[in-house]
Amino acid sequence: MVTIKGLREGLLINFGEELWLSQLRELESKLQSNPRFFRGGQVTLNVHRLSLSPDDLRRAQALLNRHGVTLQAVLAQDIHTVTHLIELGLPTRRGETEPLRDKTGRATPAKDGPASPDNTARLPEQSHIRSTSNRGAGGGADVGIGDVGATQDASRAIGQVEGSDGLLVRRRLRSGQILRHPGHIVVLGDVNPGSQLIAGGDIVVWGKLHGSVHAGALGDTGATICALEFAPSLIRIADATRASRPGEKRTRPPRPEMALIEDHEIMIVGWQAK
Amino acid sequence: MESVVITITSGKGGVGKTTCAANIGSALAMLGKKVVLIDGDIGLRNLDIVMGLENRIVYDAVDFIEGRCRLKQALIRDKRAAELYLLPTAQTRDKSAINAGQMTRLCDELRSDFDYIIIDSPAGIEQGFHTCLAPANRCLVVTNPEVSSVRDADRVIGLIEAAEKGPAQLIINRIVAARVKRQEMLSTDDITEVLSTEIIGIVPEDENILMSSNRGQPIVMNGKSPAALAFQDIARRITGENIPLQPLRSSGSILQRLFGHA
Repeated sequence: MVTIKGLREGLLINFGEELWLSQLRELESKLQSNPRFFRGGQVTLNVHRLSLSPDDLRRAQALLNRHGVTLQAVLAQDIHTVTHLIELGLPTRRGETEPLRDKTGRATPAKDGPASPDNTARLPEQSHIRSTSNRGAGGGADVGIGDVGATQDASRAIGQVEGSDGLLVRRRLRSGQILRHPGHIVVLGDVNPGSQLIAGGDIVVWGKLHGSVHAGALGDTGATICALEFAPSLIRIADATRASRPGEKRTRPPRPEMALIEDHEIMIVGWQAK
Repeated sequence: MESVVITITSGKGGVGKTTCAANIGSALAMLGKKVVLIDGDIGLRNLDIVMGLENRIVYDAVDFIEGRCRLKQALIRDKRAAELYLLPTAQTRDKSAINAGQMTRLCDELRSDFDYIIIDSPAGIEQGFHTCLAPANRCLVVTNPEVSSVRDADRVIGLIEAAEKGPAQLIINRIVAARVKRQEMLSTDDITEVLSTEIIGIVPEDENILMSSNRGQPIVMNGKSPAALAFQDIARRITGENIPLQPLRSSGSILQRLFGHA
């Protein structure tokens, strides 16, 4: 089975043990069902121990190209696969099973990865977090978010609340910068006009939100967008779109607001302490 | 002292990069520093015109990179200051003529002879910008008090941070106090709210700039006009002097105020 995780430098696509072609079909259906989420993104493939031919690898690359996705690197353990990757000139690393996570569950930067193009410039000061919502961030889509597994079952037994993965960014997002994550995105700082946030789950901005935002980008219509000062240039939740509020003046002083889907339309409501 | 490479950039064109480079470089030289100005805008060179040195170009930076001359032959000495040089660029080539590695080596070669190496970057965020960014120790981003140039400055500051050349410092150029007061123009606070970048200078709109550029005489070289004073302050801040930013005054005579600004 193909699962997708968010990393500091882009997305990590994990492959299972099944037949390569059927896994590629599975990946293709994910790419097709959420084109807005993937287009323009960068991915790393982790093929674990699979032994792949040059044709297998070319097919994967062509599939990603067709959907406007850049292949950043392929993590492989099989020596033949690694050899073919080098021959094809594809960036590779001999991956461990979970090469991009250290013990704390934080993503570690891929230091030997290729330099990112400017519009997805690596943003420092990010870390993965886990929210305590019962709703899986991926919503209807079966995109695996995070390693919610055995540890979670154990924690549930002792009364802890179930969560899903997110990305915490502690900085200002500037024009032209894109943050893309299959889980939730939390920004501690302002989101400037001209920047873009794309999340599979919810988006929370502890600051001014002036960029364009897409929550529930993998199809979750229950996703929400909250900000202390809510003035995005464009709002999307799942497939619904709403331009910034025409004619409405910015409230002075600004108050926290939240966008969510009600009756198939994006509503913006003031946040009230209950 | 350790040589410092300062890249002056903006994203948007026409905000005053070349004027800033010429005047800050000249002001530093007038403070007794050894300064070389490098025109980074290959194919659209202007710095030689603004400096009034156009007629003295024999060789340029591309000639040096491609081995047709020695570096000393391409440098033009500006006799109006003790140690001020211009390294012009080629007008007949394009940005691909010099890459980031070559620009870095070029600057490294100049470091032993100069206190300040000032690079006038081209507009845009393409190869020419990255070439000029590569050797930088310090980046000055020029913006005008209007929304589109601030948006582009934001983009460029993000790229400077991503290239680990930050934090950038900001020059707000062509501000008119009266128009800020009438809320026709962004204030320094409005700009800081978006960019949260340290301001190293605020240069008022000054009609003398146009003439000085056309005549090839940087405004700091002759005169006490408002813009000249602002550039001199920027130069002194670059050398490490602590000069507080001047509060903006509604400049101009009573007549000017009566008849308003353009």
